[in-house]
Amino acid sequence: MAAKGGRGVAELETEKSENGRRSENGRELMLGLYRMLVKCRMCDEKARILFRQGKFAGNFYSGVGQEAVEVGAAYTLREDDWIAPSHRDWTSNIIKGAPLNLCFAQLFGKATSPDRGKSTPAHMGYPPLHTITPASSIAGQLAVGTGVAFGLRRLGRDTVVVSFFGDGATSLGGFHEALNFAGVHKLPIIYVCQNNLWAESVPLRLQTALTDLSNRAKAYGFPGISVDGNDVMAVYDVATKAIARAREGEGPTFIECKTYRWYGHSEIDPAKYRMKEEVEAWKKRDPVALFEKVLRDKKLLNDESKDKVAKEITQEINEAVEFAEQSPYPDASELADHIWAQE
Amino acid sequence: MARNITMIDAITEAMAQEMERDERVFVMGEDIGLSGGVFKATQGLYDKFGEERVLDTPLAEGNIIASAIGASMVGLRPIAEIQFADFITPAMESLVQQASKIRYRSAGGYGCSLTVRICCGGGTGGGLYHSQENASWFVHEPGLKVVMPSTPYDAKGLLLAAIRDPNPVLYFEHKKLYRTAKGDVPDGDYTVPIGKAETRRQGRDMTVVTYGYMTSLCLEAAEKMAKNGVEAEVIDLRTLSPIDKETVLESVRRTSKCLIVHEDKRTLGIGGEISAIVAEEAFEDLDGPIVRITGPDIPAIPFAPPLEHAWMVNTDKIVAGMEKLAAY
Repeated sequence: MAAKGGRGVAELETEKSENGRRSENGRELMLGLYRMLVKCRMCDEKARILFRQGKFAGNFYSGVGQEAVEVGAAYTLREDDWIAPSHRDWTSNIIKGAPLNLCFAQLFGKATSPDRGKSTPAHMGYPPLHTITPASSIAGQLAVGTGVAFGLRRLGRDTVVVSFFGDGATSLGGFHEALNFAGVHKLPIIYVCQNNLWAESVPLRLQTALTDLSNRAKAYGFPGISVDGNDVMAVYDVATKAIARAREGEGPTFIECKTYRWYGHSEIDPAKYRMKEEVEAWKKRDPVALFEKVLRDKKLLNDESKDKVAKEITQEINEAVEFAEQSPYPDASELADHIWAQE
Repeated sequence: MARNITMIDAITEAMAQEMERDERVFVMGEDIGLSGGVFKATQGLYDKFGEERVLDTPLAEGNIIASAIGASMVGLRPIAEIQFADFITPAMESLVQQASKIRYRSAGGYGCSLTVRICCGGGTGGGLYHSQENASWFVHEPGLKVVMPSTPYDAKGLLLAAIRDPNPVLYFEHKKLYRTAKGDVPDGDYTVPIGKAETRRQGRDMTVVTYGYMTSLCLEAAEKMAKNGVEAEVIDLRTLSPIDKETVLESVRRTSKCLIVHEDKRTLGIGGEISAIVAEEAFEDLDGPIVRITGPDIPAIPFAPPLEHAWMVNTDKIVAGMEKLAAY
């Protein structure tokens, strides 16, 4: 499958096999994962700055601190695989290969964004690469993503769906209905739960009697695994196995990634409900810094190559922000477009 | 060739023929496979097409619809069944937040070619939770089409149109009509256009706007009025969203009077919307008030026969409404 425009495959320093899946071994993989972690971190931090500068309205749901989950789970997906993201997964579009220009145009609600300014900043989908434009209703996306997996299975394809959601989503009825259905039909879906310990301001202890959310999977008859969500290689390994399993028709896997969001639920949430000590402890387990150390120990990264990565991404982000700023807003005449299919 | 068959047979035939014609089409829902459906709407399909295309689902309406939406997003044409309109509430998230909005929120990047068959309606002793109509909830949601046939001919033609429509279509079936409505139905392929009302009876003195089971009652009432020299025109909406405003307005401009009849509850019902359309766009043509004969603003249809009878719109109530309007 040919790479789509704007994907920037070469910059990832990875090799791609014929089916569009990134190669899984060695130096290139680790450097590719690192680069994507840094890219997600830098894009996300840039989005926060832009919001606080008043460059775009609405809100933004930062995933800073959770990058290893996104990257580890989505990095190995093929172009024909699907992602069902939630509000904190804007960067999953970047990982899937959506052009960065469009990702920033999405934040600004511009006519150049994939949904032409219809959806809110963080609720991004990119149909050409099968990331589903999310609704804000928690777990709704997960249910539709399960339906996509159901459809893909019926079509006899070996395509898979990765569903991203938080701990909060696991309390909804729709979550349980979807997982139950996926278990019954052994659907090709990987449920990736970002357990960041807080559903907005509600701590995990008030959400569930469980400690490990992966235990949820037991009730639905498929494997549930808890993994260090700040260790990108750990997430990658588990996700890669789960994806292979799904492709082979063996059914879903539930992966609980224990992680933490550094900032509030959204940019207007100061998150005063959390203890400073808790936040600081998690920041010490920064997924980007942790992986940087791994690469330095393996002599795969030094100050020079690190700076080079940062500089290149900065350049790319600056160009994308400029593109977004210079893009027009959708014209008011587009208000009623796309309600119905064009016959 | 046309045969005289019941509405339920017309519905089953539409599904069977479309599944034969288009391998993307499949049906899913509660008790629709092995048992052939609680009203037998899917009888014979399981034996003919097998479990893959006639799928019994877990008892979870929200997931039935969400699964069907997802399947439609990869190019399939699911027909999902909601066994009773009373139990559609767990599917509100899927219908209202997903099906009606996925195309809009993705600016056409994703579509939803989904048919939802919903058994509805009272007058059969079903009680509070097996009698509700609830169609008007979805008329409030642009992005969803809503239809309800009143004849076997329309039942087949509208269902084929719904399955082929690239948008989500909610297809309401009144359970009282399943075996009481009989009529000529071609055995071949045809569609009834969505968005087009049908004038069931011509008349010069008033326009009666209705749909579904109420259509036959309005026609009976119109015949009674005709004996007193009042000729009512009866319009069967067939599609509740988008409403065929042109047919309604054209008729009201001729008759200068408008009566609206529906079984479902009164406040913010279809009648409210039709009233507003007529008041806004045909005010100058009216010679009397717009009159509504509807179900009452009571939570649901109670079980005991006298209570259910009191709840339901019947021919006498419609005649009373017609007489009131004829006096102007």
